[in-house]
Amino acid sequence: MIQLFRVHKTFGKDVEALTDVSLDIRKGEFVFLTGSSGAGKTTLLRLIFRDLLPTSGQILVAGRNVVRLRERQVPALRRMVGVIFQDFKLLMDRTVAENLHVVARALGTPEAAARRKIGYLLRQMGLLHRANQTPYRISGGEQQRVAIARALMNDPLILMADEPTGNLDAELAADVLRLLREVNARGTTILLATHNATLVKEQAKRTVVLKGGRIVEDNGA
Amino acid sequence: MRLTRLWSVLGDALGNLRRGGWGGLAAVGAITVSSLILGILWLLAVNLQAILSDWKGQFEVVVFLRDDITADQRELLRRRLQGEAAVAAVQYTSKEEALAFFKRDLRGQASLLEGLGENPLPASFQLRIREEHQTGPGMMRAFVTSLERLEGVEEVLYGHEWVDQIGRLVSVLHVAGWVVGTILGAAAVFIVANTIRLAVYTRADEIEILRLVGATRGYIRAPFILEGLFQGLLGAALALLLLFAGYRFLVWRLGLAPAGLLALGAGRFLEPLQVAGLLVAGAVLGGMGSLLSVRRFLKA
Repeated sequence: MIQLFRVHKTFGKDVEALTDVSLDIRKGEFVFLTGSSGAGKTTLLRLIFRDLLPTSGQILVAGRNVVRLRERQVPALRRMVGVIFQDFKLLMDRTVAENLHVVARALGTPEAAARRKIGYLLRQMGLLHRANQTPYRISGGEQQRVAIARALMNDPLILMADEPTGNLDAELAADVLRLLREVNARGTTILLATHNATLVKEQAKRTVVLKGGRIVEDNGA
Repeated sequence: MRLTRLWSVLGDALGNLRRGGWGGLAAVGAITVSSLILGILWLLAVNLQAILSDWKGQFEVVVFLRDDITADQRELLRRRLQGEAAVAAVQYTSKEEALAFFKRDLRGQASLLEGLGENPLPASFQLRIREEHQTGPGMMRAFVTSLERLEGVEEVLYGHEWVDQIGRLVSVLHVAGWVVGTILGAAAVFIVANTIRLAVYTRADEIEILRLVGATRGYIRAPFILEGLFQGLLGAALALLLLFAGYRFLVWRLGLAPAGLLALGAGRFLEPLQVAGLLVAGAVLGGMGSLLSVRRFLKA
């Protein structure tokens, strides 16, 4: 589903963010990407949804060569990939439901189907009672779940999350992980970047460890 | 489904316009002012051009004849004049006819004529000039000079000063229109661009999310482009309203004068096609401004 071949990424002249990274993530896998801050986790995620281009190397996502993708083919790639950010990136002046609706409209989903989808996802995330509130008025854990719901609006083949539990206490973090496991159980490939070692240990999933831009450990390769 | 998307894009654009507030107003104002000034120049040019062509239609060169011209010489001269490419028609007015016209024109002031012993008025040929030969001021002057050299010709008169001056004014207005239009248009484009840039910044979060979920570039850009188009169209429409009001006011004031410009074939507003042109120009200016901004500040 996601394949990286000898990927290098350099910022500017001499800031080497990733060095010789090769990785193969199969369909339906649940993979943790760990490492300390600055190890290159976020850079790796951004390369996969083509927010960045690698300095060298090849990246295949769902059979598409991301590096050779034309500008106008990028939206199609991004529709296959859902991304959850550490800072959620919610629209604070819209309600929870509107935050999801923005995606449906952008993708041209017919109105009735969009409503069904929003209702389904909000129920699944336990947010139905928050549908008409702005993100300001809900808790951090709820905001995180809105971000997950939004990332699932386009039925992505791949769901990527950058520190999805970074702002949450242990109990809420476990909640979020349970939700992500459910999503994974329905067939979505999940790549989850975190520096939370305890969380990773508890889950006993495939774990890729980055250090100084290199993969130093991969227990599932 | 395409239609619902269109509506949603239109709704976004209108929402942005409303949210734009003062910035949007400045953009609309800039387009209004530039379209208004352009419109004024254009209206002037249109009316002067109308006066000019009206004038040209009855354009006459008068060739006054020497009193001692013989009948043969006169006939020769007539044929010569008729042979000129620029001359559409030649009409002869004898000394007696000239006096009759003069008397008629001065009706009621017959006393002025009493002192005239012998008829002092010369006979003349009136030449009607083909319009295509009335182009350059230089061309007419050369023609008149050549006529003055002919035998039996006392003097040649034509309204060269008027024609030349109006002609020159129209060309000046055209040039001024282009120069002023370009400068004001560029200024308006930049003001619109700035407004749209602010709108882009205001919606930076939403744009980022739209990009990440795979919205197409067109979908993300369309509302901003439309917002610019709306601002341009609104500005041009306002300018046309102001222009029309000002024009009606002026016509009303001039209408009070007994012999106004109206008699000269002026007093017309822009043609519907020109009105549409000005509206389109406003929309294009607005669209250009937003395109400029979107291309610079809204990458991929």
